Amino acid sequence: MKLNRFILWFLLIVLGTLTSLCLAQPPPSAPASIEAVQVIGLVGVKQNTKGNLKVENGALSFAHSKSNCEISAASIEDVVTGRDSQRAIGGTVGEISRLAPFGGGTALSLLRNKVDTLTIQYRDSNGGLHGAIFTVPDGAAELFKDQLLAQGARTSIPSQAKLTSDSPLQSEAMEQTN
Amino acid sequence: MKTIKRVTLLLTVIAGLSAAPLLRAQSHPVAKPQASAIEVEMVQPGDISLPAEFQVALYENLVQELQKNGGFSQVYRDGDRNAAHDPHLVVLHTTVTAFKQGSELKRDVTTVGGATSITIHCRFTSKDGAVLLERDIDGKVRLIGDNLKATDDFAKKAATVAQENFSSDSTSSDPKKSGYKDVI
Repeated sequence: MKLNRFILWFLLIVLGTLTSLCLAQPPPSAPASIEAVQVIGLVGVKQNTKGNLKVENGALSFAHSKSNCEISAASIEDVVTGRDSQRAIGGTVGEISRLAPFGGGTALSLLRNKVDTLTIQYRDSNGGLHGAIFTVPDGAAELFKDQLLAQGARTSIPSQAKLTSDSPLQSEAMEQTN
Repeated sequence: MKTIKRVTLLLTVIAGLSAAPLLRAQSHPVAKPQASAIEVEMVQPGDISLPAEFQVALYENLVQELQKNGGFSQVYRDGDRNAAHDPHLVVLHTTVTAFKQGSELKRDVTTVGGATSITIHCRFTSKDGAVLLERDIDGKVRLIGDNLKATDDFAKKAATVAQENFSSDSTSSDPKKSGYKDVI
């Protein structure tokens, strides 16, 4: 009788543990690679170059059609995220569209996409300070920042997740760039 | 005959008066500090709440413009250890004194409002910290372009100031052309 009760309790504990493990959601992870625009800053990369941004093996990597640029996470002294918006129709077509008649150009400029900005400051091998700005899809910058911080980068503004976990009041001090 | 003599005398006097300032200017050339290298320090936001992307864009545009148009053989970044060994070095310190973030959307829609403007106090010093030149330089974007274009405008003006005042292949300094205000 005692043995039956013991087995029942044991089975209940095992079942409860397994259920909690199955229901636990994995922490949000940054995408492996994401489309980004390098606004300015990377050595040898032209301004407003489109490419793919990813964090792996302790480095931030920006790959575009001509080359691949890597920055060691440990050399990054500051990572800051921000929010912005940009014209939905950009580039040369966007510039020409401004001339559309009957206010068409103005109407087109109202079509805007929300973007995140990822701004980093890092040192090269001579100790020289560099800065780089990327625009990434809305909501992606904070995930990249968390990944960079996990791999050794530093920041002057703690990430959103850290602020929320530390104190709900501190979240009011979040960075506001817009 | 008398008239010809008078006219000749008058012309000689006029020519002499015209040439005098030119000769004087040649005899007293303005001494300009010459530098072959410049170290650019990171832009300091000062008391202004400046978004990080503006700070970085100002610094990077400044370095790029000085490399392209500054007339220096070497442009060092903030903290570069090689700068310490350069004997002819000028250091550029920059502090933001005014900043107004406009809106690209407002500029597009109204064409008169939404301008972004930034004013930066630039201080050129020697290696040992002696002030060589101080200027307030601004950057603006009034109509076409995103807000960060103001940083590009500032960088171009700052590179012109540096080129005019420190580079060996500089031309005459024209504040109106460069868009800056003298402080010293």
